[in-house]
This record gives sequence, C-alpha cells and structure tokens, in this order.
Amino acid sequence: MAAKFDLSDDSVVVIVGSGAGGGTLANELAQQGIKVVVLEAGKRFTLDDIENDEWAMFSKISWLDKRYSGGAWHGAKNHPTLPAWIVKAVGGSTVHWAGVALRLQEQEFKMKTTNGDLDGANVLDWPVSLQEMVPYYEKAELKMGVTGKTTGMPHLPWNNDFRVLAEGARRIGFNEIVSGPMAINSVDRDGRPACQQIGFCMSGCKIGAKWSTMYTEIPKAEATGKCEVRPNSMVLKVEHDKTGKVTGVVYADKDGKVQNQKARIVCVAGNSIESPRLLLNSESSLFPDGLANGSSGQVGKNYMCHTTAGVYAVMPEPVHMERGTTVAGIVSDESHNNTERGFVAGYQLEVLSLGLPFLSAFLIPGPRGWGRKVSKALEKYQYMSGVWICGEDMPQEQNGITLHDTEKDQYGLPVPVVSKTPHINDVNMTEHAYNTMKNIYESCGSTEIYNLPAYPASHNMGTCRMSEKPKDGVVNKWGQAHDVKNLFVSDGSQFTTSGSENPTLTIVALAIRQAEYIGKAMKSGEL
Amino acid sequence: MIINWERFISKMPLVFNRRQVLTSMFASSAAVLAVGSKPAAVITPAHAAETLDRAMLIQMGKDIYPHDGFLDDKPYEDTIDGIIKEAEGDEKVKSLIENGLSDLNARAQKIHGKNYSEVDSYGAREALLRQIELSDFFQKVRGGLLFGIYNNKSLFPKFGYGGSSWEHGGYIDRGFSDMTWLPDDPRKNGGNE
Repeated sequence: MAAKFDLSDDSVVVIVGSGAGGGTLANELAQQGIKVVVLEAGKRFTLDDIENDEWAMFSKISWLDKRYSGGAWHGAKNHPTLPAWIVKAVGGSTVHWAGVALRLQEQEFKMKTTNGDLDGANVLDWPVSLQEMVPYYEKAELKMGVTGKTTGMPHLPWNNDFRVLAEGARRIGFNEIVSGPMAINSVDRDGRPACQQIGFCMSGCKIGAKWSTMYTEIPKAEATGKCEVRPNSMVLKVEHDKTGKVTGVVYADKDGKVQNQKARIVCVAGNSIESPRLLLNSESSLFPDGLANGSSGQVGKNYMCHTTAGVYAVMPEPVHMERGTTVAGIVSDESHNNTERGFVAGYQLEVLSLGLPFLSAFLIPGPRGWGRKVSKALEKYQYMSGVWICGEDMPQEQNGITLHDTEKDQYGLPVPVVSKTPHINDVNMTEHAYNTMKNIYESCGSTEIYNLPAYPASHNMGTCRMSEKPKDGVVNKWGQAHDVKNLFVSDGSQFTTSGSENPTLTIVALAIRQAEYIGKAMKSGEL
Repeated sequence: MIINWERFISKMPLVFNRRQVLTSMFASSAAVLAVGSKPAAVITPAHAAETLDRAMLIQMGKDIYPHDGFLDDKPYEDTIDGIIKEAEGDEKVKSLIENGLSDLNARAQKIHGKNYSEVDSYGAREALLRQIELSDFFQKVRGGLLFGIYNNKSLFPKFGYGGSSWEHGGYIDRGFSDMTWLPDDPRKNGGNE
C-alpha cells in the first residue's frame, strides 16, 4: 500500500524525520490525499526488535552520531559526546518517550507578558495562545490515546514508585497528584492493547500500548497509498531556486549514495539539534547564514532542554521501582508561575524508574561515578524511589547548536556542538526542586537521598523558534519559515519557550494544526 | 581532560549471548573494554598472570565497586579474566593494563612504601585510585566492572532488580503496586480527572 514516488516528482511534500512532528504530519497530510515522502535517517524497527534491556536498547535505537556537548552544564565534562538522549529510527524519539502528555499552561505561551524581560534571557511570547491550541490538543489526545477526559480512558493505576511520590506529596500538602495524562492505553484502543506494566517504556514499548509514530501514524500514512517512508536516509541539504523557494533536498540513501528528491514543500522535523543543523548546512550565496536565518539570525539559537535533575531516595521498605511504567505519575503543584519562590516559571515532578544498569551509570554520572558511595547505594536498589524534575528553562541566545570548525561526521557534514549553560533562574529552580523532593521523600521516612544532575537531554526545543515578527524568530505561528514560504519546521525546534511540560503532545498538536494549514494553502494555490 | 565515556556504548554489541567477551570503551583513546552481561568464564594461563597481575586487578575491581558482605568474588574474577583475555590478544590493551598497574604500584610505593594490594585500608587505596580515575587504564577496568556487576543478569536477583518482564506478561500481575508500608490512596486506581 505504501506509495513510491520518483526522485524527480516535484509535487510531493518532503518531510525530514518521522518522530512526533514528522510522523504525525506525514499521516495528517496523507489523510488529506497529499503526496508525502518521509526521509528518516534511522532504521526501521519492529516490535520484535524491542527488548527489556536498558543498555541493549540504548545502543540499538539512540542517536549516536558524533556530537559534542558544550557550555557550562556538567554534561560538557560528563557526557562530552552525548548532549542529547534521543532516537535515530523510524518513529524518532516517540519510540523512547515515556508517554507523558501534558498540555502547556496558558501563561506558558506568554512568558514575556507574564514576567517581563529577564536579564540574560531571550524570552518571547508564543504567537499562538492556549485557547487557539485547545482544539488541536483535543485532536492530539484522541489520535494518541491520552488517558483522561478527552478520550474518557481512565488514567493508569498507580505503581509503587508513584505511590511513594504521591504519598510524600500529600504529606507536605500538595494536591495536584495524577497518574496521567499519559499516551499509554489503559484499555485496548485503536488496535493497540492495554498497558501490562512491563516497564522499560524508554526502551520502546514491547506491546505497543504506548503511542509511537513507529506503529501508529507511519503505517496509517502508508495505508493511504499517499506516503513513502525511506529509512536510512540522511538529509544533507535543502535546496532552493534563485527566488529563494525550496525545491527539494539532497540526501544520502541507505547505500550511502547521494540522491536528490524534488519537492513542492519541505518540512523539517529532525529534532532540535538536526533541524537547525540542516538549515545551517544549507547555506548558499542567497542565504549565507543558513536557510531561513536571514531575518532573525536565530537558527540554532535559544536551545532549551528543560531545567532537569533526578532525585533517588532509599525508602525504609522495598519499592521495586522497576515494576510498572517508567513515568507512572506527575505532581504539578510547583508547575505554576509563582514568583515568590525566587524564580519565574515552574516545574513538574515526574516519577522516573530506572533499572539497575542505568542507575549504576547515572547515580553519579561521568568518569568519577564509582566508589563505596555508589556501590553501597546500589545494594539498596529495591528500596529506591526516584523522580525526574522537569521545569521550564530560559531561552538564551548563546545556548544553541553550532557547527564544528573541523570535525565531520560519516556523511561529511560538520559535527554539531550543542551548548547549554543554565540561566540563574534555572539554577534557582533546580535548588528549589531538590529541596521539595527532600521534603517529600523525608516525609515517607527516607534518610538517604541522592541528587542527580541533568541527564543528556531528551526534551530538545527552541532552535528554530516561532515568533510573531520575523526579526525575533525563525518560523511563524504555523511553523512556516518567515523567510521561505514553502519551508516548514515541524518539530520541537518551533517552541518559543519550553513550558514545564514534556513537549511531545504540543509537538503533535502543532503538527496537526500545521497539516491543516498546509492542506488549505496547497488547495488555494498559495503553496 | 575529557573522558569520552559514552563512546563505549555505540561499540556495544546488540545481542548479549553466550560467553562472548564484549568490547566497548570508557575512555577517549582506543582503549577497549571487555564487558558483558554474562562475563566470560576464562581460565587464565599462568604466564598472563605474571605480567597482568590478576590478583591486583581483582583487588582494584573490588575497590572500585566494593560489595563486601554482599557479593562474592566471582563477578570481579569473571570481569577481570575477560579483560586479561582481551589483553592477551591485543598488545595495546596489554600495555595499557601493564603500565597502569605498574604506575599504580609506583604511586602506592611512594606514599605507603608498599604495593597497591598491600595497602590495607580501603580509604587509602581509594585515594590512590582517585589519583588515576581519569586515566584510560582506570576507566577501562571501571567500565568492565560497571557492566560485569550491574548489567549482569545473573546478579539482578541479588540486587532485587526484576529485569526483563514482557516475557512474563509484565508486572501487572506481579507486584507493580504491592506496597503495604505506605497507606493506600483512594485515587490509586486511576480515574480520569
């Protein structure tokens, strides 16, 4: 049923990437009868390839092409070649995500209006409001199967790890304690089974209970007969004509052969590292600073990856945190913009179960993470409960994706350098969150608590941000490049600010909305 | 000095099976580790033990991740034997280990007047290892142990870690919410608010 299009067919929409943004967009366009070619750098896996083995799956699905960490965050030393923990496969990082499907809050779309300018940060309002997004959030929730009111699907039952967080949160007076919304089936739905509490969500869901474009949007798009997915296809460059309109892409195919796919429209959805990198690598005499970068100079800038940290506590009795979904619940009391705490924006507290293999590597990350402190803590693995702090981080121009001066990757492209230096607001938020978690875990009787610094980033945002005015950002409210009419950005790079929520639901909602816009514009002949 | 510790991961084989000696790396150079979820059961030839001091490597391993009274020596021995076997087939690895060991002994001699393994306090041995913790030699041994102990399926039960569950139908009927030491919350069955 999957379509097959000619390289010279210039009537197709080319989508670079097949994750939350690209995969969703492909299906939404194909359902409208629009011809789509998806170029995905990674392989195509099936559920048979998925194992419950943290390191085996890490090495199988992660994006491990050469990259460097930069900036002042600890990862520049401890994760020097792994700034981000994302996926290279059909399905992109929806293979690895844990299913948290929170909507951004109203004020998170307008942080500049809410808090004014913040010294050293590059804060801006989104050119879209929550009100405008609600219908698309609902469509996304129905599409993905998100537990809660929109679908009517009950939230998942609480596992031990979440029960510790929830009880501790209750004891310190918190109220916003929920095991959803999760894009994980709590009942059989849409041809996918209910969750069996297998765990290992971030290794890929073995039974497909968790939504991933790998086995939902992509096959559905192919079933229309309007979509061709080409795995192992790394896009090297977006090409344009002398008027500045994009005309297609150059890519390395599965055999390493360079191909040229023509296109009517190009949509870039390679995650917030690869998307700006591709635009920067597409520089030309017409676009000397990179494609779509002329008006703002913001391509690759304002990189955000949330203010994150981990906390693991040894509880007085066994917890067995590995039993059940990886992120089994969320506490949102601190997610609001309460500036009395000494910082703007807010953070979520999300349970995060790690297996023994990952915990041993991340309890104290990097080359110094050994010794009695680590080994004695790991002996208490079954008593441990853990959480991930996920807060809004401030956009800053100097945080971003740049191209390495000399080093090239296997495709001959300059290696990306991903730089992140936390803003003082991020630092203050992290301290506050560590303290909140200390209170929560101590209220449940823990006397041994480990604060972990940020993991390599899974939430990558902001490097081609949306803006009302072309001088402030790369794309408009539809994800359309201010400078190039038939070029779109369709992933988390569009985010103007990060919010405190996991980005996937918003990426999907934006992709649904973008598909509607593209469909209309194609019909009217505008595109 | 940048320790490129993630680099080893991309070099890990996708399937852990049989008694293979897995290669990977923890450090920035071409140092290669022998690691695996099931460390190879290797009989070390006597001549190797003379140049590659097996007992000293095992001591070092036990000092990197000490589990006295919790684990026996077997996972340490298996991991070290895997590294020795690899060193026997790779001159670069062999000299990395030999030079690393003799450097460690030299440091111990300088401070304590005896070889590393004869320094009797753990704290003193840890302090010696802290001096060399960023070296390729140290990270190679450490990386081997990290996998040989904590990614070793035969030791998962010892740590109370359940591991792979899909083949058992997940944890839905196997205690995912069986805790009784904290009170039940009326919301714990889900709901959709």
